[in-house]
Amino acid sequence: MSVGHVARGFEEAGIPTVSVFVRAFRHVAEVMKLPRTVITQHPMGRPLGGPGDPQRQRTVIEAALGLFDSATAGGTVVEIGDTWRPGAVNP
Amino acid sequence: MTDIESDAAETLEEFKNSFSYGARSDLTFKFLKSLSPEDAGEFFRQLLGEVGRSLDHGEVGPIHQLVFDWQVRGYEKSGRSHEYDTAPFVAPAKPVSASKVGVLTSSGHFPAWDDPNPFGIENMTQVEAEARISEFMRDTPALSAIPIDIDSGDLRVRHGGYDVRSVSRDPEVAFPLQTLIALEAEGVIGELSSPMYSFTGATSQGRLRRQALPGWIDRLKGDGIDVLLLVPV
Repeated sequence: MSVGHVARGFEEAGIPTVSVFVRAFRHVAEVMKLPRTVITQHPMGRPLGGPGDPQRQRTVIEAALGLFDSATAGGTVVEIGDTWRPGAVNP
Repeated sequence: MTDIESDAAETLEEFKNSFSYGARSDLTFKFLKSLSPEDAGEFFRQLLGEVGRSLDHGEVGPIHQLVFDWQVRGYEKSGRSHEYDTAPFVAPAKPVSASKVGVLTSSGHFPAWDDPNPFGIENMTQVEAEARISEFMRDTPALSAIPIDIDSGDLRVRHGGYDVRSVSRDPEVAFPLQTLIALEAEGVIGELSSPMYSFTGATSQGRLRRQALPGWIDRLKGDGIDVLLLVPV
């Protein structure tokens, strides 16, 4: 919820935002009508990817940044289908 | 009721709730408190089934998927009280490849030299933060500014609302500093704004909106950002 309020506040103040949520909180992004949201299939507390998994982390960030160029209306939600995978043991 | 040492027989209700800030607190599994005793029992039945199967095939993926699926189920009723009718939207003035990108996460990161010292407590531990979760939920959040040239050894995290084990091993799990530095070098973004920002997302929603957020907006506008990347946990 916290980031939802932050996203709405910045967007209303003229700063475009994109938020990365884990799947467990997709409904929060939807009921709060956030401007742009990327959803990952990751466990809570691990929104961008596993520790020591820079490839997945980059994929998620690029998907989020891409919404700045592609989204045409508020409430845009894009779900990344890649399932969770553990990162390297010693990142 | 969370006292494991109690003489009274523990009910399944008490057992499942003890994973949420109780005697068995484990924030990856605090969702159990949101499940009915029957559903919690079903979760454990399925979990043990997958653990048993993994003894032979050695794959932990099905166990991870099971935890993920039940987390989704456990949180499905959360956060629905903050419902809005319309979505704000402003189109970026330029492509992201030419934009100055700001970052704000609710992961609870801060620089070692600027600990927000919640409730005036110096060097609060993660354990103490979890024990004080109710106080955090009533408090005004503090914004931590983290310069993008911070030494990795100076980046700290503390947050009583989620399992910080992953971000403690690799901040990029929720605080994408090196990821964005690389994307800036490759021209995917125009510029990464410094500092990046973080706060403890377990906080009073009213105080966040009314007391903290207006100042945060002014501050990041002062940084000259064009767009803002947000990472909740």
